[in-house]
Amino acid sequence: MAVNVLIVDDSFSMRSIIKKTIKVSGFEVGKFLEAADGREAMKVLVNEWVDILLTDINMPNMNGMELIGEMKKDEVLRSIPVVMVTTEGSERRVREAMEMGARGYIMKPFLPEEIKGTLCNILGEAAYAKKELDEGYEGGDF
Amino acid sequence: MRRKSLMKVMRAAISDVLETMFFMTVQFGESRCTLQEWFFDKQVLFGATISFNGPSSGSLWLVAPVSALNEITANFLGRGKDEISDEEKRDTVKEALNMIGGHGFSLFGRKDTFTLGIPRSIEGLTLSENIQGNPSKHTILIAAGHNRLAAGIEFG
Repeated sequence: MAVNVLIVDDSFSMRSIIKKTIKVSGFEVGKFLEAADGREAMKVLVNEWVDILLTDINMPNMNGMELIGEMKKDEVLRSIPVVMVTTEGSERRVREAMEMGARGYIMKPFLPEEIKGTLCNILGEAAYAKKELDEGYEGGDF
Repeated sequence: MRRKSLMKVMRAAISDVLETMFFMTVQFGESRCTLQEWFFDKQVLFGATISFNGPSSGSLWLVAPVSALNEITANFLGRGKDEISDEEKRDTVKEALNMIGGHGFSLFGRKDTFTLGIPRSIEGLTLSENIQGNPSKHTILIAAGHNRLAAGIEFG
């Protein structure tokens, strides 16, 4: 199952790193979509099908928490799983994000395994296309 | 607020961020060394600054000569040094500082809530014309691979 992923971060370098990390993790991605803040993300969300959204918190115009708040107002958008990928690590911030409906919380700096593990948990194994299966079995002792 | 403790966690945050996201091993220079000495006097520096508020307020900064920025940006983006734009360098150093700040404050104490501002670029800073030329106990001299950077905290 290919998934459409929306990455929201005001740093295009960080968006690029997250995208690369997801790619090398072996997820089958239909489309990578990007937005530089919550406001841009809302525009993408009304025009594109998104299966999972990864967002920073600290962004200009509309921050990640405000973005979740806006999504919750919409019957369709509220069901999209949101993962916070952020530098903000205070207990209060994490609790706030989870209470608002975030499904995962990844702290920057992150290891690729953290992104992979969180997406696996949320999307389920079905979305995780193992490279060995895609590329054919290449060895091992049977 | 415990400024000394904050400096300690910022050092740890710098190591974590540069090692995890930029694949660079980090050592810290002698704090009594001035920035002129650290950057061999003549360098023009680029970098970023970000404000913070919470139990204490002020700003964090991170600067480096363009040669070091080339390398950290290339490492971050996984591309060759000659393939990166000035805009990517600016964005990368801002994001590096954002991560250092956020991570540092979370290491400082998860119960202390600090709010970070939006990082801003520092362009073409010459050491002779700025306040950071003097040795300061709030300056951190960073050797990342063969590159030299510096970071610091200015309390408001």
